[in-house]
Amino acid sequence: MAIRRRERLEVIYDFLSIVQENQGSIKKTPLLRKTNLSSQSFLEYFDELIAKGFIREQEDNKRNKFITLTDKGYRYISKFKQLAGFINEFGL
Amino acid sequence: MSPDFFLPPDFGIEVLYTVLIMIFTFLVFYKTREIYELTKHKGVQFFRYAFILLGLAYASRLFLYGSLLKSSLSFEPFSRPSPFLAPVSSLLLAYFSTLAILYLLYSTIWREYKTEHFLTIANSVALLISIIAFISRSPLAVLLSQVVLLVALVVMNIRNHKGDKKKTPMYALYFLIALFWLVSLLVMSGMRIQFSLWLKLVLEAISLSAMVVLYYKISRWVR
Repeated sequence: MAIRRRERLEVIYDFLSIVQENQGSIKKTPLLRKTNLSSQSFLEYFDELIAKGFIREQEDNKRNKFITLTDKGYRYISKFKQLAGFINEFGL
Repeated sequence: MSPDFFLPPDFGIEVLYTVLIMIFTFLVFYKTREIYELTKHKGVQFFRYAFILLGLAYASRLFLYGSLLKSSLSFEPFSRPSPFLAPVSSLLLAYFSTLAILYLLYSTIWREYKTEHFLTIANSVALLISIIAFISRSPLAVLLSQVVLLVALVVMNIRNHKGDKKKTPMYALYFLIALFWLVSLLVMSGMRIQFSLWLKLVLEAISLSAMVVLYYKISRWVR
């Protein structure tokens, strides 16, 4: 059976959804595992999402690093169906 | 009172038509702002720019129409048409409209033709056609150049989406919008080819309807 390649917007949605499903906060290693991306792709998406302000990296008191969603990240998740539907319908 | 004061009813209709088209093109740009901000999607980017450019092209068309009308209505020897308005309007009209057509078509084929030089190519083509318009001072020259361009791009689009399961009826709507832009140029060149007022009204109503349908379809996705 052929494996369908995920579209870029879909990968971003999956990435952000994983963070959301973990009460909006997750460590980098489990996130890498759950996204099903190669390490290189993961880092590319990670840097892109940080730069675009969808996620941010935070440290707790024990200096553990967590990835959390920003308001923009939550907005992307809630609007994803609209975004993908629009792009699909208009053939963009 | 100057005879220029008595403008034909066509001009009022042209102003109304242009303003309505411009409102819809700017609304398309505004409505898709959030989609672009969230995705930074190249197709969405070119789609939005295409409509802003189309709005500017219609504005330039109105200026050109006004300047041509002024020269055809000037009965007084001292009331000569501005030597700059018509050529400059032609130049802007050709530039904006060519870019709008290229951007709209590229928004649908950018995945297949990924190039970093698209902006350079599009601007060069637009500049070339606007120079032709400036020299010839005729909307007909722009019309012919853009017909050739549109046919070439439509053929490219059809070839790329051959056997595509995700075919969208929007391509037909884009083609209709581009076609009615060309028809509007033909109506303008109708200083020689006379279009009746009713025919102009019907064509403008269909053209406006295509924009309204497009805007309605966008509004369904973006609230």
